Amino acid sequence: MDFRFSEDQLTLAETVRDYLSGTHGPEVLRRLDAAKEQGNAPRDPAIWNGLIEMGLTGLLVPEAQGGLGMGLVDAALIAAECGRACVSEPLVDTAFVGVPWLLAKGETDQLAAIVAGEVKVPLPHAINPWVADDTPSRLRGNGELVSVDPLRCLSKGTGGDDPHLLNLAALMSAAQLVGLADAMLSQATEYAKIRTQFGQPIGAFQGIKHQLASCAVAIEFAKPVVWRAAAAMQDGLDSAPLHVSHAKVASTDAAMLTAETAIQVHGAMGYTYEVDLHFWMKRSWALAGAWGSRAFHLKRVDKAVLGGAQPIGPEHTFA
Amino acid sequence: MNLTYTPEQTAFRAEVRAWMEAHVPKEPLVTLECREGYDQHVEWERTLASGNWGMVTWPEAYGGRGLDLIQWLIFEEEYFRAGGPNRANQNGIFLLGPTIMEFGTEEQKKRFLTPMAKGEVIWAQAWSEPGAGSDMAAISSKAIRDGDHYVITGQKTWSSRAAFADWGFGIFRTDPDSKRHKGLTFILFDLNTPGITRRPIRQLHGDTGFAELFFDEVRVPVENCLAGEGEGWNVAMATAGFERGLMLRSPGRFQATAKRLVELYRKHEADASPAAREAVMQAWMASQAYAYNTYGVAAKIMAGGKIGAEASLNKIFWSELDRSMHRTAMALLGAAAELKRFEDGSVNQWLEGYIFSLSGPIYAGSNEVQRNITAERLLGLPRVGAG
Repeated sequence: MDFRFSEDQLTLAETVRDYLSGTHGPEVLRRLDAAKEQGNAPRDPAIWNGLIEMGLTGLLVPEAQGGLGMGLVDAALIAAECGRACVSEPLVDTAFVGVPWLLAKGETDQLAAIVAGEVKVPLPHAINPWVADDTPSRLRGNGELVSVDPLRCLSKGTGGDDPHLLNLAALMSAAQLVGLADAMLSQATEYAKIRTQFGQPIGAFQGIKHQLASCAVAIEFAKPVVWRAAAAMQDGLDSAPLHVSHAKVASTDAAMLTAETAIQVHGAMGYTYEVDLHFWMKRSWALAGAWGSRAFHLKRVDKAVLGGAQPIGPEHTFA
Repeated sequence: MNLTYTPEQTAFRAEVRAWMEAHVPKEPLVTLECREGYDQHVEWERTLASGNWGMVTWPEAYGGRGLDLIQWLIFEEEYFRAGGPNRANQNGIFLLGPTIMEFGTEEQKKRFLTPMAKGEVIWAQAWSEPGAGSDMAAISSKAIRDGDHYVITGQKTWSSRAAFADWGFGIFRTDPDSKRHKGLTFILFDLNTPGITRRPIRQLHGDTGFAELFFDEVRVPVENCLAGEGEGWNVAMATAGFERGLMLRSPGRFQATAKRLVELYRKHEADASPAAREAVMQAWMASQAYAYNTYGVAAKIMAGGKIGAEASLNKIFWSELDRSMHRTAMALLGAAAELKRFEDGSVNQWLEGYIFSLSGPIYAGSNEVQRNITAERLLGLPRVGAG
């Protein structure tokens, strides 16, 4: 029993965080957004190539097939970093959801191409009426599906109801949501330190402090739920779907609270397109509903807990 | 990350479970906040000690078992699974004990820890004063050095257990010219020392668990000072860290409440609102989240880490969770919520628990203060009043 990340895991996450904060700052998001305004895809091959060069497309691919052979706990940690940096390239979808899904199905022919970044795995599932991909609907001549998230391109969703795919994708959405929440809290906190009113930084007022502290509490207690769900999926526990649903609910609540608080702390600036916060906030809104809404996941928790299938009580912490 | 127990840990769980099933009183004890209930709870402390379960993490030399924090968590889970009573000596074993372990001399450890683990000496805390609640640095009770004694004069209040306990601990101003955090000293004292008057305070529920303490030239030997003279603030902050951080409220307590809440919901499902149903699910989810987080903190400490200001996040979380779980239960009980005893004569523990849960966001540093600490020390926002 050791509920900690290993030194290697923490080092990997830090490396990815440093890389993304150096190469994928808000100016990149603004540039991609501007490209989309011009009618182009909000993507930059250089970003995708950078992720490939770091080996992240092969994170979950077995070493025998040219990958790093890591596990879902590692992937969840990196997915949180992708959320923190508001990455729009389909790294999480392809490499952290698609790859373990294909591996579980025994489909290995495309793995080498995935590691090389040549193949992006579509994730069709009945739970999503539309799916994220790389091509703006305007370029497809289909104006009806436009996400509030300017960097998220949508197309009509179709697909089966593979529960493993759903659980993998919901888990990785939850991981991105805690990273997004972290980033929004940090942006609001930094703003509260520099914005002065009534002769002092607004962050000195308890009315601001207490709201930000409540976000810190929500995030602090959402994260271990996500890591526990990742470990349950990695270990193949029967109860893993329950823990994934718990993680999706907890991370959604933390991100939604932090998004609303962050805009409030930014005041009127928060209501503009000029403050970068909106990228993170809109991504949070999108992921909150993707791969099963809060209501869907709450029902799954309800069914397992009130239904009696899940043993509960102090002696069942890790059941 | 490894979330499975070792065979040794599983065997330890079985050992605790068997002992608890054989020894935990079948009927709930009378509340700790009155003479009769206090005596029952002290008796239970001694029963626990007879099984050597007083404080499992302490070294054997001080009445413990020398176990690690994971084993402590397993012990606590089984304790609450079995419905173990509240710990009469929680101020001692969870707060003062770890503080003595960190700051005490070898002689103090021998003198105080073993009787504490064995339930022979029950401890009260004496932090707050009428003018120093959330703002503890405003303490004015004085302890003036006179030869090999301190002479204490002043007043403490909201002293948990002080109505009946044997000993107390708190911080006192040993330098009369000092201000705020300086010049304070952490002192342990026998509550029966001449010059101490206890005035029990009737609490919200009508019972008398805490007390005011009046000190009138109370002579306390200098060897009862913990760490050095003037070090009181640092020592007290460490104690507060234990209180808010890991020890005082182990997750088993809240997981047990969440489980009882699920059972209560099933009984009242026909009349329950969808909001109550969601609140019950939130109770289970939040109590689990608290447990995961605690296992994370335990692992961190076992690897040599320390609990810092994040203890404040912890305290906010468990106290507000406890209040919301009991609020939900009161809503589910409907008209029966007001009954002190149900029609079958059993105590309405949800009502007692709800009343007690209202103190959670206040004691151990109010949640407003915890949110300030979170904002200032974890997020780095400017201190209150700073320009």
